[in-house]
Amino acid sequence: MSELTLLILRVGFLVALWVFVFFVVYAVRSDLFGQRVRRMPAATKVPVAAPEAAAFMTSAQPRISVPASDEVAPADGTPLKIVITSGALEGHELALVGDAITIGRSPDSSLVIQDDYTSTHHARLEVRGGQWMLRDLDSTNGTTIAGSRITSPVPIPLNTPIVVGSMTFEVRR
Amino acid sequence: MSAPVTPAPDFALTGSIGKLKRAKVPQRMRNVELVLLIVACGINVGSLVLVQLGVLGVVDGGPLAICGLLTVLVLAIHVAMRFVAPQADALILPVATVLNGLGIAEIYRIDLALGNEGWDALANKQIAWTALALGAAFATIVLIRHQRVLQRYTYIFGLVAVILLILPMIPGLGIEVNGARVWIQIGTLTFQPGEIAKIALAIFFAGYLVQRRESLSMVGKSFLGMRFPRGRDLGPILVVWAMSMAVIVFQRDLGTGLLYFGLFLVMLYVATGRGSWVILGLSLVGLGAVLANQFLDYVHGRFANWYDAFNPENFNGYGGSYQLVQGLFGLAHGGVIGTGLGEGLPEVTPVAQSDYIIASLGEELGLAGIFAILCLYLLLVGRGLRIGFAGHDDFSKLLAVGLSFTIALQCFIVIGGVMRVIPLTGLTTPFLAAGGSSLVANWMIAALLLRLSDSLRNEPRLVVG
Repeated sequence: MSELTLLILRVGFLVALWVFVFFVVYAVRSDLFGQRVRRMPAATKVPVAAPEAAAFMTSAQPRISVPASDEVAPADGTPLKIVITSGALEGHELALVGDAITIGRSPDSSLVIQDDYTSTHHARLEVRGGQWMLRDLDSTNGTTIAGSRITSPVPIPLNTPIVVGSMTFEVRR
Repeated sequence: MSAPVTPAPDFALTGSIGKLKRAKVPQRMRNVELVLLIVACGINVGSLVLVQLGVLGVVDGGPLAICGLLTVLVLAIHVAMRFVAPQADALILPVATVLNGLGIAEIYRIDLALGNEGWDALANKQIAWTALALGAAFATIVLIRHQRVLQRYTYIFGLVAVILLILPMIPGLGIEVNGARVWIQIGTLTFQPGEIAKIALAIFFAGYLVQRRESLSMVGKSFLGMRFPRGRDLGPILVVWAMSMAVIVFQRDLGTGLLYFGLFLVMLYVATGRGSWVILGLSLVGLGAVLANQFLDYVHGRFANWYDAFNPENFNGYGGSYQLVQGLFGLAHGGVIGTGLGEGLPEVTPVAQSDYIIASLGEELGLAGIFAILCLYLLLVGRGLRIGFAGHDDFSKLLAVGLSFTIALQCFIVIGGVMRVIPLTGLTTPFLAAGGSSLVANWMIAALLLRLSDSLRNEPRLVVG
């Protein structure tokens, strides 16, 4: 076997190795660069009001919301549900069960929301110390409870609007 | 072939179902995996052919046929996963396959250079161990259907870890190699139980920390601006940790000690979220290193070999830096694209097949090849951390982080040692290096990560869009 053929083969092998690496990187691109946003004619129209509300609710603009109850969501077996009050899923309810529910664009999330305003891993509802807590996973647009953006895990108040991206939901009994 | 059974969603849905769909795309992950596996096996065959062309000048069918059998085993795991873990991560299996195959090719290459044949040839042993390791991975993924099972036996795993660590100390069972007493011998078979112990330890730490994380981070006395947990919360971990440390000191295996300590620290940090643990741990490592350098001869030797490797006194001395420097010369000989598989002189370095496998591969594949290998490790560890990040329950989060961190730390300790970033301590390069127990342990870790990622994606969920 000639010197040249061996050189070509060995460079070829390195190229093959790198092609494999890039194949793998290509397969995980959604993790590296975020989930691709799918635009839908219906979904893009509905959320317009909600993100604006999310962005400006914290400012001086007063917003009439349901009077927040002091009661927080207990994790003692009381049947609780998430009621989605605005966004593409408006009107849907889902039961709050298990240890945790994640919300985000990532397909790993429990509640997958594919729109511009939701981060790949946006927020997480989890049971901590006998009650349901809401945690923002460092999302771009933040998570608000009754108009104020949360920075650390907080107990979830019942019957209070929570905004995640373009979706507003409440936890009710 | 039947479709995978979909668990009934826990969400009670009302309203129109039309807008919702399940995120399940049947077998998409497995199809990606199959494509990557075919490429991976192609690379493995290519590396063996290149080795044979480089050393022998002709292609010999025998070793290729044996590696064909391994390909069949890997594909068997793939097929099994289509049934028992359809949503598992698609990248772990192909990446581990390539690393394992590259390792076999390089070990085979060094065997050819040294004239080892038959059962003396480390490559043949490595192939046999790979078959065993793949079997272990297959069993892990088929038998453990959910990580809950592991969490249930938290304390049993703690006990198992300690017993495994003590095994080599039992007279008649343990044997001493190069001053380290970490092997056990049954017949002609030698095994390093500490490798399996690290998995058991990771499971124990994860299970225990999940129960006690709140009290560990909230309750306790403040001292020097840092909150120390109560003895009864920290006790069991400290006991298991101290026992592993003691065993390691008596077995004189520094690398494994560092690995367990790092595992312990990272899991404690991830569970409690307190940076002070990391600072405390790193300062303990620093203090320990300084003290060991002062008082332990063999540790001092390692330090001297590291900071003054090219000093003739160290180079020529017994247990000196000869090996390290030969490894570095090998890497330099390789240059950017390497000498080509089978065309370098990696056999000059002592134990080029195990501790110095990365230097051997670096010589023959060059900087480009080493970077590709490091990228593969990065992707593997990245996948593991990603599985931990997206985990739905705390146990899987902690376990995934712990397991992938062991791979990362092991790479850092041994590759960093060979490349003279840190003083060299003996550990195996995951999947690459000759060594059966490490191979079995790492394939089991891969299988556990696959299991964790499958249960993660199988959780019920809703999709909008």
